[in-house]
This record gives sequence, structure tokens and C-alpha cells, in this order.
Amino acid sequence: MAQQVPDLSNAIVAQDEMGRPFIIVRDQGKKQRKHGIEATKSHILAARSVASIVKTSLGPRGLDKILISQDGDITITNDGATILTQMDLDNEIAKLLVELSRSQDDEIGDGTTGVVVIAGALLDQALELIEKGIHPIKIANGFDEACKIAVEHLDSIADTISISSESKDTNLLKAAKTSLGSKVVSKAHDHFAQMAVDAVLAVADFERKDVDFELIKMEKKVGGPIEDSSLIRGVLLDKDFSHPQMPKIVKDCKIAILTCPFEPPKPKTKHKLDISTVEEFKVLQEYEQKKFQEMIDLVKASGANVVACQWGFDDEANHLLLANGLNAIRWIGGSELELLAIATNGRIVPRFEDLTADKLGTAGVIRELEFGTTRDRMLVIEDCSNTKAVTCFIRGSNEMIAAEGIRALHDSICVVRNLIRDSRVVYGGGAAELTCSLAVTDAADKQKGIDQYAFRAFAAALDTIPMTLAENSGLDPIETLSALKAKQVNENSSHLGVDCLGKGTNDMKELFVIDPLIGKKQQLLLATQLTRMILKINDVIISGKDEY
Amino acid sequence: MSFSTQTPTIVVLKEGTDSSQGKGQILSNINACLAIQDTLRPTLGPFGSDILIVSSNGKTTISNDGATILKLLDIVHPAAKMLVDISRAQDAEVGDGTTSVTILAGEFLKEAKTFIDDGMSSHLIIKGLRRANELAIQKIKDIAVQIKREDGFEFRQLLEKCATTAMSSKLISKNSTFFTKMVVDAVLSLDQEDLDEKLIGIKKVPGGGMEDSLFVDGVAFKKTFSYAGFEQQPKQFNNPKIVNLNVELELKAEKENAEVRVEQVKDYQAIVDAEWQIIFNKLEAIANTGANIVLSKLPIGDLATQYFADRNIFCAGRVSSEDMDRVIKAVGGNIQSTCSNINPEDIGTCATFEEAQIGGERYNLFKGCPQAKTCTLVLRGGAEQVIAEVERSLHDAIMIVKRAVSHSEVVAGGGAIEMELSKYLRDYAKTVAGKQQLIITAYAKALEIIPRQLCENAGLDGIELLNKLRSSHAKGELWYGIDFQKESIGNNMKNFIWEPSLVKINALSSATEAATLLLSVDETIKNDDSQDGGAAGGSARGRGAF
Repeated sequence: MAQQVPDLSNAIVAQDEMGRPFIIVRDQGKKQRKHGIEATKSHILAARSVASIVKTSLGPRGLDKILISQDGDITITNDGATILTQMDLDNEIAKLLVELSRSQDDEIGDGTTGVVVIAGALLDQALELIEKGIHPIKIANGFDEACKIAVEHLDSIADTISISSESKDTNLLKAAKTSLGSKVVSKAHDHFAQMAVDAVLAVADFERKDVDFELIKMEKKVGGPIEDSSLIRGVLLDKDFSHPQMPKIVKDCKIAILTCPFEPPKPKTKHKLDISTVEEFKVLQEYEQKKFQEMIDLVKASGANVVACQWGFDDEANHLLLANGLNAIRWIGGSELELLAIATNGRIVPRFEDLTADKLGTAGVIRELEFGTTRDRMLVIEDCSNTKAVTCFIRGSNEMIAAEGIRALHDSICVVRNLIRDSRVVYGGGAAELTCSLAVTDAADKQKGIDQYAFRAFAAALDTIPMTLAENSGLDPIETLSALKAKQVNENSSHLGVDCLGKGTNDMKELFVIDPLIGKKQQLLLATQLTRMILKINDVIISGKDEY
Repeated sequence: MSFSTQTPTIVVLKEGTDSSQGKGQILSNINACLAIQDTLRPTLGPFGSDILIVSSNGKTTISNDGATILKLLDIVHPAAKMLVDISRAQDAEVGDGTTSVTILAGEFLKEAKTFIDDGMSSHLIIKGLRRANELAIQKIKDIAVQIKREDGFEFRQLLEKCATTAMSSKLISKNSTFFTKMVVDAVLSLDQEDLDEKLIGIKKVPGGGMEDSLFVDGVAFKKTFSYAGFEQQPKQFNNPKIVNLNVELELKAEKENAEVRVEQVKDYQAIVDAEWQIIFNKLEAIANTGANIVLSKLPIGDLATQYFADRNIFCAGRVSSEDMDRVIKAVGGNIQSTCSNINPEDIGTCATFEEAQIGGERYNLFKGCPQAKTCTLVLRGGAEQVIAEVERSLHDAIMIVKRAVSHSEVVAGGGAIEMELSKYLRDYAKTVAGKQQLIITAYAKALEIIPRQLCENAGLDGIELLNKLRSSHAKGELWYGIDFQKESIGNNMKNFIWEPSLVKINALSSATEAATLLLSVDETIKNDDSQDGGAAGGSARGRGAF
């Protein structure tokens, strides 16, 4: 009698003394299981396919991807982290790669595509070694050692560039340009680079070598060419003055920043007021009137000429404000209010009684911007007493370009910040990877045992970056790579990279294509770490989706 | 053929109750445990691999930790569940060796299976296993090496070595020098009397390399939700005064569901003022204590935030209670449930306070605490799963170091102690007459699974190395075990592959206990879930234990 034996490869199955299988693990029929080398191989294949998606976005000639979300929203980008996050991957290993690029994004903000490409290449190389019969963990150990050598080598070749707090600092500008090179905004290259440098320098704390990103705000508005984007040394509010008749420009502003509504104060406790007579009603009305007048008086007394309020106020208050020559902005969000307070050196005031002259914020000018024919208005608050708050205002002919502009600017701001934190740089265009690859290959011959293979594989994986760059730029990858390698060795120079833009020289130092050292180091470390994690898995158990 | 010849079935148990019994039951239980053992085996040792588990709600876990894997496997078989329980018990008791305990228990059962097949009474086997276990534990105690605690440096070395061994099988093995220092610092910073590892806070921040992880000799927690005005507060203090509250600082109704009846319009303002007065009194009382930092478990509203900002006070509301407990342990003082009567002794302090950016998050760091009986490990890593696994590995290492602090006896790992015990038991068995001899020998053989599996996972020739080990132990080399560096055997005591003896003792006794318990079970009676009714029970009947 043939017994009904479930698929033994799928689940953990045991048999009793009669050879009949029985269940040990809940829902075991629905669980999928992959085991041993097969599991490792399938992981590598998954990672490879993810890496190959972002591969074509690498470098200044990298291409963009269109991503359409479930709701039909369209994103066009070539930012690795954004592409991967929006792809909504299902495979577990692919998800790991997404997190990898995201953590590069969080930490460094740039090089999110490169890290995935390196990780993919490392896994690719590992696959060959596994097929040769080398234990996956030994490969991972070898990669770790090789990565150490590569990172040490990066330290030794890094150049320190001088940076200063001047906005014309050419080094910072050029670095910002490098990171913008691959983005859609490259036609407004100089403009954006200058914006990024100015924004960071405005908020940077050179003593602590720290840059607080919360002080840099990004706003976008569709319409107008991307060159119209500008850096506002102050705050931009997506609001307008509460009354259309208020003047559109206020100069020498004294701003009262309020978190209480323009209405008679209410107790928080539940309350009830019984009105039984007409007299009482009148008293109440008078009371309210009086309260409004009191508020206005208090504001006036403090010397303010602009009121910024977190809450709204009704028409009566609005009218009174206008009549008293006070400009008012209502419904400002909490974080914007805070930013406004910081920028104008004002204090946030919780009730009218606390308003005094020294709690007011000061700004040179507040003006209402009007855009095209859409009647969209925004308020610009400039010449603030504290310059440590800036807003990058991005324009673009459509939503996608504006959004991509923000991402591009964010990347270059990150690069500038990283340089302020650590002014050591290595050269881009694959130069850094190439020289590391050479260093690791050298070290490989000195290794005893199996690590030699892993070292060579690591070096080969590093070569993928210049190769991909060459490929994306329409050059012959292998020819370019071998030519460059020979040149680097012959000239003993670590700053020769792929000439993606056809500038006629391979010297990246001359072209000033630089990357912050910490960013490159991070890429290698993260990619190696992830490779180890994936190589170490040899058993996958996936619970089936509940069918009920 | 006729009805009269058929004896009517006597129903003793409720319909749908599944029962199976006898020798078959014991065997099928053993089989179930072996299947579990099989799953765990590849994860043992420094070359053990990881298992990726995706739970039914889509959460991914990548782990090498026996207890974690077993917990996530969602095992329903009653006998197999026993293995989950012992690995969990090992986790709770010593924190490490959760894989080995499961493998050992499985191996004991496997050896016992042949005897059961041959018809030996399970009670005899149990007796033999217990006897062998006692002997083995006694032997560990006899040969364990005592480390002198007096020499602070040497003691630290010991702790670091134990931590390194515990980490050797994990993802972080390559960074073990970095992490052992962290772990040992963490454990030594605790109160040496009760060593409550809960006071070691572990915070996870994705991003950065693993070596970007931080050790904070104090407390660190993520920036809490803040209201407008927070950014205007100072973010750095030296020797701050810290007030810890359990008070909501917010303009709000003092009593829920209370209603005020306002009789006259002029009373209206009075009530509003009264409410303001209540909150201002609270804030003033706090400011009067001279505090620089105000922490509260409950929300601190925007009014209070701005009030503090005006007075150069830093505040954080909604601090989770674990963080708060650790802050108290670190900076001293007490949690106040009211704002009045805050005495100077209730106010804590520390050397420096700072809000710093760690990766994408902002953290509040309290450093250099006078009563630092606590510390925080801020872990970094490329992906969430990486950090989660680092955390588990560190937990194991912390538990091991903790055990080593309280019991400073060590044995050599890498299969050395198991081989020595195995040799000892084999020798002993020859002096015993009767069936016990067989069982003790079987126990001795089962112990060899540890070095054998270590070899197998590393891709080494297990049979050859095992024979080498046997012969060297026979020559009296106490601490010879597998040496992965040379892919051969070596003296693991000299190679500093050390484990606290307590871990081994605990592993052996719980594995033996689990094995004996399973062997003594010869019947399972299972009540089916009432909603399934008899149908499911009927089909499952006779299928072993389910």
C-alpha cells in the first residue's frame, strides 16, 4: 500500500514506528523550507537581480527609473535608496538590500546605489567560490579580512582638502557638484551646488563639526523652471495673510508668536453656562467683545506688528486685526512655528497676558509670494535676526522633477555635511575602488590558505564599480578597466578613474571628482557585513500565508 | 456477521480525544525530537550557519540562537515542545548554550531509542542516564579551572575570553575584540552583587557599521516626541540637576468627566485663570528646584515646553518607564509623582548631558553618572535584521560574562570538555556490571555529538578528528578539542576557548532531564479543540502523538 507521504523536502517531518508521518510544527504543510547550498544560491540570485536593477543608475551617465506606486503616483529618480524603497520587494533577501541602501542613506546620505552594486557583486563572486566548494563562512571571513585591508588602504590614500566657512569655497562646491552630477538637476548644476553649500554653511557648527538638518527645510512648488529654485535665508511658510486686505509686504517686523487661539479663553474642564435672561446674554456678548479688544491691545502694547498664530481665529478677530493694522498668519503647524521662533529669535507665547516686547521675534521683511495665475501664495520671512535657519525652495515644471530636485539637493547637502565633519576625501569615478582592488589583489598573494580566493573575489567585486561606470557611460567596460588598472600601477597614482563625461583626462584629482572618505568606507563596510549575513544563512523557513 | 457477536465499544474518553500509548508512543516522541534536533544542528559552533525564518505575519528573523529559532518555529508536537522548553530554560538560566542543550537532548534520546527497540525497560534507561549525568557533572566540577579574582587584570582577561567564545558562532565573531570589550565593560559597570542585566540598556539605530556601536557609561534614549519650543531649549549641560517626574505637565482638565457650572459671566474668567494657575504652580515649583533637566513618564505639553525653554531648562516627556528606571539608577534621585516638595536629595545629576545625533536619530545621552550601576549599548548595523542578531549575540555574551563573574570557573570549549567527559564515562562504565554499563557507554557516545557536529558544520573530516581527539584524551590531554584555525585538534585551554563551567553543567542536566522525562512518557491523551469537533480527531487518530 502506497502511503500518503507529504513532500519531505518541504517541511520538518517525522515518522512514527509504522512509518506514518505526523505533524510537529504548526501548519507545516504550508511552510516552505529551503536548505543548504541551494538556499544560499537562491539568495545570491535574488540579490543579484536587485543589484542589476539599480546598476544602470550609477554614475553621471546613469539613467533614471520610473516607479509607479499602487495609487498611481509616479516617481522618477535615480537615487538608489528611493528606487529600492518604492519597489516594494517581496523577497526576504531583496528586502535586506533595501535596508542596506536605506542605512547608507541615513548615515551618509549619498552612495546608496554604489553600496547595493558592491554587495551584489560580492555575492556574485561568492557564488563562484561556493561552487568551487569553499565553505560560505570561510568566504565571508575572507571578505572581512579583505575589507579591512581595503579600508586601511582608503585611509592611507585619502587626501585632506581644506574647507572654509566661506560660501565661495571651491572645494565644497566641487564636491557638491560631483554628487549632483548624476541627477536630473544637472542642467542647473552650479546653481544647486551653490545652494547646497550655502544652506549647509548657514547652519553648520564648525566647532562641533555638526550640521543640524532640522534647520534646513525643503519646500517645493510646481511651475517655473528648475533654475528658479532658490535658497531663502529665513523661513518659508505655505500660508498667506489671514485677510486679503492686509499689506503684502511688511518691513521691520516684530512678530508675536502665539500658541493660543484668538478667541475668549475657555477652561479645559467641561463647563456649562446657563443664560436665562436677556441681560445676561448681553453681558456675555460684551465680555467677548472686551476680550477681543484686550487681546488686540496686549499685542499692540508689546509693539508687535505681525501675529503668527498656531490656531485659527474667526472673522471678527480677523477684522479687528486688520482695523488695528496688524498683519496676521493663522494655522501655522507646530514645527513651522518652532522654526519661525528659532529664525526670528522670538519666544513662543502661550497666552496673551505673557506677551512682552522681548518675547517678540524680529525679521527684516515678510512678503507674500504669488505664483503664476494659480493664486497660490506663500510667505517668505527674510533677514531674520538668527540666520541659522534656511529654506531651500525648489521649483520644477512638474511634480516629479521638483521631488527629484529635493532628493538631489538632499544628497549634495549630505556630501557637504560629511566634508565638514571629516575633510578627508578619496577620488570618485571608480578611482578609489580601483586602487583598493589593486591593494587587495596584492595582499591576496601573501595570504596562506583559502583566504586567497576570497581576497581575489573581493578585488574582482570592487572592479564592478568602475566597470559599471564605464558601461553606463557608453565606454567599453573591460578595455577601460584594464587600461585604468595598468595606468594606476604604472603611474603609481590612486586618483585615476573612469572619464565618464568625456573630459579627456582620467585624473580625477584634476577634474575634482571627489567623495568623502567616510562615505566610501561606509559603503565597503556595510556591503561586506550584509554579504556575511546572507552567506551565513543556510536554512529558510517561511510560514505559509493563512488561508482562512 | 450478526450484531450479537460484536462487543459494543466502551467509550471511556470523550469523542475526538486522541490517545496513543505504549512503546510506539515513546519511539514516535523520540522521532519528533530528532526532527527538531536536525533543524538546529547546522547552527552549532563558529562555522554554524544561520536560519532565516519568515513568520506568518511576514516578519523576517535571521538567527543563529537556538532558543530564538525554536521559539519562532511554532512547534505544536507535545514532545518536541519539551525541547523548546529546555532551550528556553537554558536561555533564562545561563543565556548561552541553547543550541547545544537541544542537540544533546536529541542525541541522548537517539541512543536510548536503540535500547527501547531492543525491549529494554525505559526505567532502566532513565536510571542509567541519571547516573551518567551525576558522574559527568561531578567530573566537570573536579576538573574546572578556577580563575583568581584578586588579580583584576587577569579576571578581566577571563571574562573577555568567555565572551569571545560565546560570540564565536555569531555574526559578530569577526568583530569580537570590539564587542567583548563592550560586553565586559557593560557587565562590570553593573552592581556586582545582583548583576541585573536588565539595567544594561540596548538601543538599536540602523545605519553605520557594526563597529560604530557605542558604549555609554550611563543612559541613552531616543529623543521623545516634542512640542513646539523644544528646539529652543539648551541641548548640553555639565553637571546638570535632573528632576524625574511622573506628572503630566499640560494645561488640561484636572478631573476627567467633571463639569463646571458657570453661574455668571464674570466667573468664567476666574475658572480659566484657576486652570492656568494650577499648571503654572507646578512649573514654578519645578523651576524653583534649580533643575536643568526635567524628565517625565507622562507627556509634557507645549505650554510647559515653552516655559522651560524660556528658563533654559531641557525637558523630555513620555520617557518609557524602562528608560526612566535606568535614568534613576544612573543619576540618582527618585521619581516624583507631584511637583511640590521636591527635596534636593530627590534630584539626580551626572557629569554631562547632551543631545546628539546618532545615525538618523537624535539621542539623549547622560554620561558619567555618579552611581552608574547601569550602562547603555547603542548598536549599529546595516540592516534591522543585522542589528537584531547582534543584539541576541550580545545578550548571550552578556549572560555568559555575568555567569563568569559570579562563578569564576571555566572549562575549555570546542568539544574539549565533552570529549573528556566521554572518555571518563567510558572508563567508568567498564567498572559497572549489568545493563547500566551499556547505558553509560551510550551516554558517553552521545556526548561526542558536540565535537562531531562542530566538525561537520565547518566542513572538516569529523571521523578523523574525533579519532584523534579520542586518542589524545586517552593519553591524558585534558583540554584537547577542535581547533578551527588549524583545522585540526589543539589544546583549547591554551587557545583561550573558554566557557563558564556552569553553562556546561546546566546544559547537561537539563538535556538529561528532558530525555528522561520523554522516556517515561508512554501515553499521550489529547483533547481536541472543541470547535474542530470529532472530524479532525478521527483523521489524526493513530498518527502518533498528535
